[in-house]
Amino acid sequence: MREFMHYITNAFYGATGWSEDNSYKDLNATSRELIDFPLPRGLRLTLSSLATPHFATSYQLGSVGVVDGSISYLHSSVPLAAVPARSDEIPLAALLRSYRRLHELGSRERQWFWSTGEPTVPVPPRTPDNDKSSLLYGRLYLPQSLLEGLVVKRFGSELQIQVSAVSEQTLRNGGTMLGLVQYDKGKYGVEGLASTDGGLLGVRGLYNFGGDSSPSKINPQAGSKSDVGEKEGIYGRFSAGGELYYGTLNKSGGMSLGMRFATLPTHRGTPLTATVTVNPLMGNINTSYAVLARDYCSLATKMEFNVYSYESDWAVGMELWSNRRPAGFVLGADPNRQQEPEPQPQPQSQSQLEEAKAPRKKERSFQAKLEWRLDDPESELESVKPIDKSTPAKKKEEYLGVLKARLDQNLRVGLLWEGRAKSLIFSLGTGVDLHRLDEPFRSLGLEIQYSS
Amino acid sequence: MAFNFNWSPLTADAGFYERARDLLTTALNKSPKPPIIVDDIFVTEFNLGSVPPDLEILEIGDLAEDRFRGIFKMCYSGDAFLTLKTRVQANPLNTYLSAKPGFTSPQPLAAASSLTIPLQITLSEIKLSAFIIVVFSKQKGLTLVFRNDPLESLKVSSTFDSIQFVRDYLQRTIEGKLRDLMMEELPAIIHRLSLQLWCPDQIIKDGEEDKEVDEHAVNPLATPPLDAVDAHGHTVYPIAISELSLDPGSETNPLYSQQNVHQLGSLVDTQGTSSLFTSDIRNVMFRAWAMPSERPDSNSPPAATPSLVRSASQSGSAHTYTFSDSGSQDASNLPSRPSLVSMNSATTAGLSLGSGRHTKAGRKKKMRVVNLRKPSSEPSSSEIDDCASEGGSSSMAPMSEPNLPATIPEQPEEGPSMASGSNVNKTRFPSDVSQQRRPSIRPEQTKVSDSPIPSIEINSEPIDSQSATQREPASSDTKAEWRRSRPQFDTQSVILEQAWIMKMAGEIARRVYDEKNRNPAFWAERDDCPPPAYEAN
Repeated sequence: MREFMHYITNAFYGATGWSEDNSYKDLNATSRELIDFPLPRGLRLTLSSLATPHFATSYQLGSVGVVDGSISYLHSSVPLAAVPARSDEIPLAALLRSYRRLHELGSRERQWFWSTGEPTVPVPPRTPDNDKSSLLYGRLYLPQSLLEGLVVKRFGSELQIQVSAVSEQTLRNGGTMLGLVQYDKGKYGVEGLASTDGGLLGVRGLYNFGGDSSPSKINPQAGSKSDVGEKEGIYGRFSAGGELYYGTLNKSGGMSLGMRFATLPTHRGTPLTATVTVNPLMGNINTSYAVLARDYCSLATKMEFNVYSYESDWAVGMELWSNRRPAGFVLGADPNRQQEPEPQPQPQSQSQLEEAKAPRKKERSFQAKLEWRLDDPESELESVKPIDKSTPAKKKEEYLGVLKARLDQNLRVGLLWEGRAKSLIFSLGTGVDLHRLDEPFRSLGLEIQYSS
Repeated sequence: MAFNFNWSPLTADAGFYERARDLLTTALNKSPKPPIIVDDIFVTEFNLGSVPPDLEILEIGDLAEDRFRGIFKMCYSGDAFLTLKTRVQANPLNTYLSAKPGFTSPQPLAAASSLTIPLQITLSEIKLSAFIIVVFSKQKGLTLVFRNDPLESLKVSSTFDSIQFVRDYLQRTIEGKLRDLMMEELPAIIHRLSLQLWCPDQIIKDGEEDKEVDEHAVNPLATPPLDAVDAHGHTVYPIAISELSLDPGSETNPLYSQQNVHQLGSLVDTQGTSSLFTSDIRNVMFRAWAMPSERPDSNSPPAATPSLVRSASQSGSAHTYTFSDSGSQDASNLPSRPSLVSMNSATTAGLSLGSGRHTKAGRKKKMRVVNLRKPSSEPSSSEIDDCASEGGSSSMAPMSEPNLPATIPEQPEEGPSMASGSNVNKTRFPSDVSQQRRPSIRPEQTKVSDSPIPSIEINSEPIDSQSATQREPASSDTKAEWRRSRPQFDTQSVILEQAWIMKMAGEIARRVYDEKNRNPAFWAERDDCPPPAYEAN
């Protein structure tokens, strides 16, 4: 679950039209989120509020043995009034969805959260102000007295500077600071960074080719449907990049090269993302493959191999969405609510077919007991279907929870059940070690988030 | 005071290194490791080497059978070595990130991917210099504390010796960790070990020995290898034989077989009943409680015979092979002691039992020590000694003896010689033979031995054996008495008891003689000594 402040920050990026697609550090964000999602530990309670379109606050109270907490404030120069901030309105996908889709390079009106086919809320028209927009964020952890600060400043439509800092007593020199300059040209993106810690300097960049970034990108854009439909091929974009770091104080460095292929929203087949990263210095090769098999199901695998030490690792991850209210999760969530950015004939027909079956089954099973109730959702569904394409936002609300699971080479399982109950967004997670069946649960955590 | 502490026996116990390795492994993995070490640390090789550390006693605060407190100074520069195996992170960026807050992390995509490399580290040329405070009590185990940082220097060699940076880092890190280990972990380990050793069942060694061992994280002594140790020990630790050894003897009781205990019981009974029957006890070496006698006379050289007996008894204890405090006191005696060590208890057995019960005891070379005497017997014996040395007033002294191991009489000196002689012979004398010879012997040498006998009887019946050996002291009041008594014995037996006693004494004397015969040289020495002693008295 993304924290509220993270959500708002993403909303800021969306509002200012900044895309993170061209950041090399997010090259494999999809598989990372599907497989390496963080598990909550202990109990954590978050109260947040977007008090004004420019100002957000968040208070967090946690208990893992000891009670701790944090207070955070955020100020955005761009009004975020259009952003749904109430926890019963926030689209779950924005908070919970792991699979991340690329956005069209051409469009500056990007949705500010990932993986939803269309923005639920129209992005405010860009004005010259946006090019000077800024975001200030501060967070104080207690009782550690750790202070985090972040400043994001846009200079024009292609340049953005971020400065983040941490202040804590135990750190050397009392804290560290990281400066990040991001330049996004659409076709390519470059970042430069400098850290006060160890005098680290870094450069990383990403270059796109193929797909919509090819010279004839206008054409596929316009005629993508026809083209893709004709070719039946996979329509996507290649991105290649690299990073280079050097610590001026400790005289150490590192580098890596990476490549990604991801389908574009206009692709009518199954969305997928594949990445390869290579660290030539350390001999590490990492590959990942993620696929959005259905709108309610995403799968990912990751494999890692080191040519020097012959160490290898693999992991698989999965994400399943459910539209059932109760905690009971059923694999076969209603496919009828499957939502594709571009309506496709085949899925559509399938869904329709199943649609017809599923409701009937339901009717029968529940009829005896709750006749009248069954009718309501039924009718709702019926009514929704026609509207399906026109109001995707409503459709999304059908999903009430998501189950994420991962399994790695050491037979460690991570389970995460997230969803919305009333107006609370909860996240319940546990880590299971199958090697130690006598005490399999290594961790257990619950996060509850409420925002207004 | 001096400690003799045996380094090589540590290796005699096959399981020792294995156990030590396990202990070290757990200790090393206990504290959080630096990020560069990504795996557990395993101790693959461990050797204490052959060079023992130098121990210097700075202060003994408290000393008793069951407790000890002292301060030592330890210096070590030997050939011990230790090999560790673990895996380290070779990507500097990875370790760089691990210690930084995530919020300002540059979040590299793959540049921080890990590369772990197996690493083998050998620690050698360890130089230690420390003040060690040792507190021991039987109930609470052993507590050992380093008063200062014990690690002076050590050499770290590893897989990465060719890379200067890595080598320096390892050297630094390991030194730091080792310091922690010594200052914090080691005392805990030793304490746990000592509890293990002492709580379950008593161990033959004296507490101090254990401490010594423990200081070096070694506890092998606790276990059976004693026998083997003996073999080593005898050469090394002549000094060891005094009271301390005796004390352990009492502890060994549990080792005795039931049968033997019964027979011992009957043996004791016979003394009360004047029965001549002596039961046959197998695999046991008898040791008279004579020892206490030694100390009283602190100054006066004891009679030849008594010394003999005692020495013998001491020797018996000697197989415990460790050092004893008494040794230190008797610094002067030390030279002679070596022989003591070697001396076998066999002779003693013969002598002490001398009351004549059984000759067989003498035969066994078994190392086990049997205390025939009950505690009560000690005083009496000591009395006797005292009398001998000081004219009978010394009953007090004996009492003190048991309590104060520290006081060690000179007698041991003579003892050693005797003992050595006996030892050489591996004395066994069939009683028959000895008896036959005995008559001849008596006249000359036995004076000492004979004379005591009568007195003994009078003093304490139950303790015949001891008394027998040491009668002389008791009787010593006047030489004349001795002589007289002896003559009496020969010519006429006034009292039946006396007669019996005499007989016993005779037996003892006989044995002594046998030995003498076998070892003329030995006897010669001894002869020289005794006369003066008597005279002094």
